[in-house]
Amino acid sequence: MDIKKVNEDGNTLEIRNLVIHYISDDETVKAVNGVDIIIRSGKTLGLVGETGAGKTTTALSILNLVPEPQGKIISGEVLLEGKSVFEMTEHELQDMRGDKVAMIFQDPMTSLNPVLTVGDQIAESLEIHRKLNKDEAMKQAKEMLEMVGIPAERAYEYPYQFSGGMKQRVVIAIALACSPDLLIADEPTTALDVTIQAQVLNLINELKQKYHMSMLMITHDLGIVAEVCDEVSVIYGGRIVEHGTLEDIFDNMRHPYTKGLFGALPDIEVRRSELKPIKGLMPDPTNLPPGCSFHPRCDYAMEVCSKVAPENRWLDDTHCVECHLYKDTNESRL
Amino acid sequence: MESTTRNYTTRKEFFKQYKKKSRMQEIWRMFCKNKLAVLGLILFIIIVAVAVAAPLIADYNQEALKINVPQRLKAPNSEHILGTDEMGRDIFARIVHGARISLVVGLSSVALALFIGGAFGAIAGFFGGKTDNFIMRAMDVFLCLPDVLLALAIVAAFGTNLVNMTIAIGLSFTPKFSRVVRSAVMTVRGIEYVEAARAIGSTNTHIITNHILINCIGPIIVQVTLYVASAILTISALSFIGLGIQAPIPEWGNMLASGRAYMRDHAYIVMAPGLAIFVTILALNLLGDGLRDALDPRLKQ
Repeated sequence: MDIKKVNEDGNTLEIRNLVIHYISDDETVKAVNGVDIIIRSGKTLGLVGETGAGKTTTALSILNLVPEPQGKIISGEVLLEGKSVFEMTEHELQDMRGDKVAMIFQDPMTSLNPVLTVGDQIAESLEIHRKLNKDEAMKQAKEMLEMVGIPAERAYEYPYQFSGGMKQRVVIAIALACSPDLLIADEPTTALDVTIQAQVLNLINELKQKYHMSMLMITHDLGIVAEVCDEVSVIYGGRIVEHGTLEDIFDNMRHPYTKGLFGALPDIEVRRSELKPIKGLMPDPTNLPPGCSFHPRCDYAMEVCSKVAPENRWLDDTHCVECHLYKDTNESRL
Repeated sequence: MESTTRNYTTRKEFFKQYKKKSRMQEIWRMFCKNKLAVLGLILFIIIVAVAVAAPLIADYNQEALKINVPQRLKAPNSEHILGTDEMGRDIFARIVHGARISLVVGLSSVALALFIGGAFGAIAGFFGGKTDNFIMRAMDVFLCLPDVLLALAIVAAFGTNLVNMTIAIGLSFTPKFSRVVRSAVMTVRGIEYVEAARAIGSTNTHIITNHILINCIGPIIVQVTLYVASAILTISALSFIGLGIQAPIPEWGNMLASGRAYMRDHAYIVMAPGLAIFVTILALNLLGDGLRDALDPRLKQ
């Protein structure tokens, strides 16, 4: 995908043509194959795709935490406010992580250290980045806890004393402790049940506005996207296949895969309609199909789809799609 | 979860009880729940107290060292509660003074081994790859020499005194600690909270000390207690072959060794030092198990 508005001022994050492979002795997993992402200051981008589409790898690359030594960044760059993270020194990276960019991990059960109190864990990033001493950091950590709706007194408790939803609030408090410019939320609600999901999403929305943060929301849940995001990128087989504003994607979707994603959602108004799952499975990332990697599952596949990879095309200022159907037309052909 | 935020004032009072308990108090409370561990701690304190107060309990020169042939091989009686050995020395006095050597050398050699071996093991386990290979292969070289042989070589080369013996035993245990710490570190380093710590900008040193080692404390403490016991046995073994504590100085190992010849008719001579070693090791193991459970908040009910 080629992005029109490169070098525009106020971009918190720019990812350009990012290619990441995981290389082991006998195979190469092509996790990310040329992803472009731009997040403007204060905006939220939803990155939507199935399991294994390369969402988490993309997120980790922003912090330059792609697991070594298997994970190899083949090409591309990640720019944070114009500065390339792949060229940062280890020291600059440590300064950036947690201060400029923070990440909410998927599973609150394993992303908290079981033998440290939650207060200590929130205070840790304040001690690192704000150079506070233990007492001051703890005081601020308690304020963070109050902010996410947990009584400050509980700062002295251990993660096992919290429920899943409260642990996720603690994880959010850790991520927000140094009020980062960019918050990466990697499926923050996947491990939670539905009632808690709503609470956590409301909390994220509130805090996002309060601190004017940019956010990258990684999810496979389109409901979350509608609630939290300004723009959406749909990722498939390590490439962004469609990108646009919420209206572009929800009301004027163009790509057959995006349509498939919505077809797989139950419709509350038409209760008799059947779910239409996308046929087949995600392609094996060690052996992606030639041409468009979605063509074996696509209802609209043409001959050309299995031979030539489609090029990215902007339909208007905000909406772009990567599909052979739109080579010469902007009208929906679904 | 709602209720915790809603009934705020009452909850606040409820949580005060947590606030007042520091981490140490919490650990102590957990420790006390384990009766066997408390027994181990009491035994260990008694042994340490006896070692510290040895000169008050029995006179070193008169009772533990002075040869008194007419009194030799007396069975336990009111004057000598554990009897006398083949030279007529009071066994109780010798045990009491022997405790000092065993404890000092046992604890300090394990501390040395833990410090060096632990540091190497943590580095190897955390960084993996070539670093790991290099360190662990070097440790393997040491590991393929039996401890007693390695300790013996060091003592033989540098002379037999307490410091050399401590260093010798400490170095011979180093590879074992590096293995234990390395494997514990490797199980922890892949867990998501280590990645999360990296994502908030922690340095490697900070991650190793604050996030990884603290989660490995259980197996390490158990190893420490086991190896203190094993160090006490190694001192005894070295004394037994004459390269440890030299003959007139009382030490549990050389008491066993010299009493061995009289074991058939005067079993109490070897029984007393044997029991001393047994009780010390038992106390350390019980203590270690209890500490491991108390230090791990995951095991709290």
